[in-house]
Amino acid sequence: MKVPISWLREFVELPAESNAIAQRLAMLGFPVEEIVRRPVIEGVVVGRLAEVDRHPNADRLFVCVVDVGDDAPLTIATAATNVAAGQIVPVARIGARLPNLRIERRTMRGIVSEGMLCSPDELALDPQWFDADGIMQLDESLPIGGDAVALLGLRDDVLDVEITSNRVDAMSVIGLARELAASYGVPLRLPSFVNAAKKPAEPAPRVGIASADCSYFVVQRFDHVHVGRSCARVRVRLALCGVRPLSSIVDVSNYVMLETGEPLHFYDAGSVQGGLVARDALPDEVLTTLDGVTRALDPKVLVIADESRALGVAGVMGGSSSEVGERTTSILLEAAAFAGARIRRSAQFVGLRTEASSRHERSVPPALADAACARAAQMLVELGAVAYAPVCAGSVHSAPRLSLTQHDVERTLGQVLAPGRIASHLRALGCEVDDRSEVLQVLPPAWRADLTIPADLVEEIARMEGYDAIEAVVPAVTAHDVSSREYERERQAARVMAALGYHETITYSLRARGGEGSVALRNPLSEEQRYLRSAIEPALLDDLARIGRPFRLFEIGHVFASEGGIVVEVPLLSMAVAGEQTNEPAWSDAQFIRLKGDLQAFLRELTGNAGSVRPVQRAGLHPGKTAGLSIGDVDVALFGRVEPRAERDRGASFPLYAGSVRLDRLGDTLRPRYRPPSRFPSTYRDLALAVGVEVSAESVEAATAHAIGDICTAVRVFDEYRGPQIEQGHKSIAVRAVMQRFDGTITDEEADAAVARAAATLHERLGATVRV
Amino acid sequence: MTDVASSLEALAKRLAAAVEAANDEQALEAARVRYLGRNGEVTAIRRSIGRLAPADRPGAGKTINDAVAAMERVLDERRAGLAARDVEAALAHRIDVTFPAQPPALGTIHPIRRVIDDACAYFERHGFAVVLGPEVEPDYYNFDALNIPPGHPAREGFDSFWIDDTLLLRPHTSPMQIRTMQMHKPPIAIVAPGRCYRRDAVDARHLFQFHQIEGLLVDRGIHFGHLKGMLTGLCRTLFGAYQEVRFRPSYFPFTEPSAEVDTTCPKCTGHASACSMCGGSGWIELGGAGMVHPNVLREVGYDADAVCGWAFGFGAERLALVRYDVDDIRRFVDSDPDFLEQLGTIS
Ligand SMILES: [Zn+2]
Repeated sequence: MKVPISWLREFVELPAESNAIAQRLAMLGFPVEEIVRRPVIEGVVVGRLAEVDRHPNADRLFVCVVDVGDDAPLTIATAATNVAAGQIVPVARIGARLPNLRIERRTMRGIVSEGMLCSPDELALDPQWFDADGIMQLDESLPIGGDAVALLGLRDDVLDVEITSNRVDAMSVIGLARELAASYGVPLRLPSFVNAAKKPAEPAPRVGIASADCSYFVVQRFDHVHVGRSCARVRVRLALCGVRPLSSIVDVSNYVMLETGEPLHFYDAGSVQGGLVARDALPDEVLTTLDGVTRALDPKVLVIADESRALGVAGVMGGSSSEVGERTTSILLEAAAFAGARIRRSAQFVGLRTEASSRHERSVPPALADAACARAAQMLVELGAVAYAPVCAGSVHSAPRLSLTQHDVERTLGQVLAPGRIASHLRALGCEVDDRSEVLQVLPPAWRADLTIPADLVEEIARMEGYDAIEAVVPAVTAHDVSSREYERERQAARVMAALGYHETITYSLRARGGEGSVALRNPLSEEQRYLRSAIEPALLDDLARIGRPFRLFEIGHVFASEGGIVVEVPLLSMAVAGEQTNEPAWSDAQFIRLKGDLQAFLRELTGNAGSVRPVQRAGLHPGKTAGLSIGDVDVALFGRVEPRAERDRGASFPLYAGSVRLDRLGDTLRPRYRPPSRFPSTYRDLALAVGVEVSAESVEAATAHAIGDICTAVRVFDEYRGPQIEQGHKSIAVRAVMQRFDGTITDEEADAAVARAAATLHERLGATVRV
Repeated sequence: MTDVASSLEALAKRLAAAVEAANDEQALEAARVRYLGRNGEVTAIRRSIGRLAPADRPGAGKTINDAVAAMERVLDERRAGLAARDVEAALAHRIDVTFPAQPPALGTIHPIRRVIDDACAYFERHGFAVVLGPEVEPDYYNFDALNIPPGHPAREGFDSFWIDDTLLLRPHTSPMQIRTMQMHKPPIAIVAPGRCYRRDAVDARHLFQFHQIEGLLVDRGIHFGHLKGMLTGLCRTLFGAYQEVRFRPSYFPFTEPSAEVDTTCPKCTGHASACSMCGGSGWIELGGAGMVHPNVLREVGYDADAVCGWAFGFGAERLALVRYDVDDIRRFVDSDPDFLEQLGTIS
C-alpha cells in the first residue's frame, strides 16, 4: 500500500527522515518495500492568472500577469494552451528548483518572463492523471503566494508498505498513523468520526441484508450533490497513493477508503429502485460492472441489489446502471461489512481484484463503516451536499473482553514486564484496559478484529516493547523419543555417492510427460511441469546430454505414482553416468561393471550387505546390459546401460548409464563383527575353464565354492576371453579359489583334490571343461 | 710370527681390499661370507689349530679371535660408511614440488544439502532430531491443522499446486510439525528439512520448487527468547561468528507472536550501500518464526496451558545463496559441473 508521509503527518508527529519512519514501520511489522523518493522542488508558489494575453510577437505563446501575493505581479510567458484568466496555478519563481531544471529570468521573443507556470510533469505528477494538455490547475482552497509544494504535500516521500493479511485496519493512513503514534509515544490527532447528519431522509432509504456473509450495512442519502472536480490537494493525495483522481464524488469514496480503510460505494439515487439489499446473485443474473464489462453472475457471487436487479458485486465493484455521473444530484452511500472469504470467492468468480476487494476480502471490521460514513458525510457537506441520517441493517458486535496476566506475558516472551507497562502498551493501541486486579481485563478496539486470544495481546506488547528487546537465550532440550534415522540414511547415502565420484544435483520434480499411473497437477504453471516425476533418471540423463562430457550425477528425492487413486511417494537415490567412448567387444562393458561395483560398494556402506545381482529388463535400458540388485529377497536397486535409441534421442555423444536405489527398502545396517584371521597360511588355485557363453560368472563361482566346501574362503572369476582360439558359442574364463583352515595348514594334496572336485562339479553342472 | 698369524695377516689384507672395493651392502655381505662366514677362510684357519701343539693352541685361538674382531670392525666401518653415503645421496634428491597433482576423482554434495546438513547438525548438537516427510500432503496437514481453515486469506499466500480437492504439493514444511506432534508426546525437538513447491514463475530469485528447513521445539517453559537464541546460533554456524539476528513482527496463522527473521548481511556487514546481497539494507531476510499458536497445540491434543513451543521455517536456497554468494537461484537446479565442483564437497 502506498502511503504519502505528508498524509501521515496530518495525524501524527513524525521524524523528518523517511528512512527512520520506514525503519520504525518495519520493526512494527509493516515492512516498507520501497521508499518512493520525491524530487526536490523549491520556489513553487500558488499564483492566480490575473490577465492572459497572446504574445505580441509569437502566435504560440501567451503572456500572463500572475498574482503571487506580492505587491507587484509577475509577468510570465508560457507556451501552454490551457491558460485563462482567473486560473489558480503553480508558479515557479525565479531561482526555483524543479526536477532537472532551475528557473531563471529569460526573455521570450522580447518579453522578460519572470518565472514559469508548472505542468503536472514538472511537479513530478503523472500528467495523464492531471492536466495532460498543459499547466496544472489548482483551486481557490489554496492561499495565493503559499508554498505549493508544502500545501499539496509534494515534498515528502511516499512509502510502499506491505500489510500482513491480519491487519486490514492498517491498510489505511490512519491505521498506520496510529501504529506510529503508539510506537513513538506521541498523540494521534484524528478527525471527528461523528456523523453530524441527524435529519432522516424522506422517504428514508431502505436497507436490507439477505445473506449471512453481510453482517452490517449502512446507507446514507445525500442531496444537492454537484459532481465536479476535487480540489488539487485531494487529487494529489490520491495520485500519490496510486489512485487515479476521477470526479469529486468518486474521489471522496477513494479518499475515505485510503484514510480509514473502509471501502465505500456511491449509487446514483435516481437509478435505485426501492432500497439496497445485500444478497446472493441469481443463477442467470447479469451485471455490467463499472469497467464496462457485462458479466454473468452465479449464486456464489454476493451482490448489492435494488428491488429489481443487481447493482454491483458486493465489496468488489459497482455497476454502470447506478453509476454516479455528471447529471447526478442525489446519491446513496454504501458502507458495509462482509465475510472476507465470500468476497474473495465473488472476486475470483468475476475475475476482478480492486482496492475495495483487497480490503473486504480480509474482513473489514463493521465498526469502520460508521466512521467512514461520517468522514464521507463531512467531506460531501463541505462540497455543498445535504446529508441525511444514515440507516443501517445488521449489527456491530463488540469484541470479546480478554483476560491477561503478567505471567502470560512472561511465559511467552521470557521477559518480566510490570502490569502498568503492559496496560500502557495496550492502551496506546486503542485497547480499553481494566487493571484494577492482577488479571487485566482487556477490550480490544473495534477496528482490531484480529485480537481474539491472550497470545494476540502478547504479540502487541512485544511489538510495542520492540522485538529487539527480547533477550536471546539457548534452551536446554529435554530428552525425547523422535528418531533421525531416515535423515541419517539420506545423509550417509549422499556422502557415499560423493566419495564414489558422483556429483549431487537437484532437478525439477515436475515434468512435461507422464505415463500410466503418473500423478498430474490440476493447476500447473505450464504444460512443461504438469506431472509429478515417476523417475529421476530422465532428468539426470538430459542434464548429462547437455553437459556433453564424461560426468557422474546423482540425486536423492521423491518419486510419485498413483496406485488405486492413492498417491504413493517413494524416496529414491538415482544416478546417471556419461562414460568414456570405448572400443569393447559386444560381450563386455567395463563401465557397466564399474557402475555395479559402485552400487555394491554403496549398498555395503549403507546396509553391510553388497547385495546380489541378476539380469533384468526395464523399459529405457539396454535389454542385455541391465541388472537388478537385491538384498535377501528384497529388490533394492536397478541399473544398466541406457537403451541405444534413448541415447540417440538425447543426442548424447557418450555412453549413458543409469540406476536407482530404493532408499525406503534398505533395512537396518548390519553391525560388523570382527573375525580374527586363521593362524595358518592360505593357498589358492586358479582354474582356466571353457564354458558356454550363457554361463554366468556368478554360477561358476557358486559351483566352485560349493564343490570345495568349508575350506574355500574366497572364489572369484577374474578373466574372460572370447575369440578365435575358443570354440564357437564358448568363452574362456579364469577363476581363483582361495583355501584356508583354522585348524591347520592346507596341504598341496588337499588343495589339488579340492580343485579337482570343483572341476568335476563345474563340468557336471555347467558343462565346463578345464583348459590346459 | 706363527703360520697362523701370518696367514691371518694376509687374509686381513685381502679382506680390507675386498671391503674397500665393495660399493654396496650386497658386495660387503659377499666379502663377509667369503672370509668370516661359516665356510669362510677364517674357518679354514681355525680348523688348522688342531694340527698345532696343544700348548700353542690357546695362543693361536686368541690370535684368530683378535683378527676376526679386527676384520669385523673393518666390515662394520665400511658398512656404516656405505649407509652414510646412501643417506647423503638420498638427501641430495630434489623434485619440483609445484608439479601438478592428479586430483582424485571425488564427487560432491550439493550446496543445498550442505546448508541443510550443517543446519541440522547444529540442531542435533543441541538435542534435536531430524525428521523427513512426504511432499504430497492433504490440505489438513498443510492448512487446517495449522490454524488456516478453508477460506482463510493466508491459504492464497501459499499459491499451491493442487492434485485434487484435498491433495496438494506442500508449500511449506510445516505439515511436519503436525505429523510429529501427532505421533509423539511432548517434549518435541525437531528439524524437518525438505522440498516444497509454490506456483512461482522461475527467475533469478524464484523457483517453483525449493527447500525449507522447519524447526519445532515444544516443552514446558519454552519462550520467544529461546527462539532468538537458537536462531542466532544457527546464523553464526552458517555465516560466521559475528552474525546478529533481528526479529520483526509479522503474521502467520500458526504462530503467535510471529516474526520475520533477518540476519546481518555477511557480504557487506551493513557497510555497503550498493551491496548486491542485501540491497544496502545490511540485513538478509531468512524466513518466518514464532511461538506455536495455541490452536495448533490443541489440534494435536496438547495442553496449550501446560506446554509452549516455537517454530520456524527458513528457505534453504536463500541460506545457500547468501552463504556461497550465488547470483542466481536457478544455478541450484542447473547441474552445471563447474558450479557443483566449485561449491560441492564430499562431506
Ligand atoms: Zn550487504
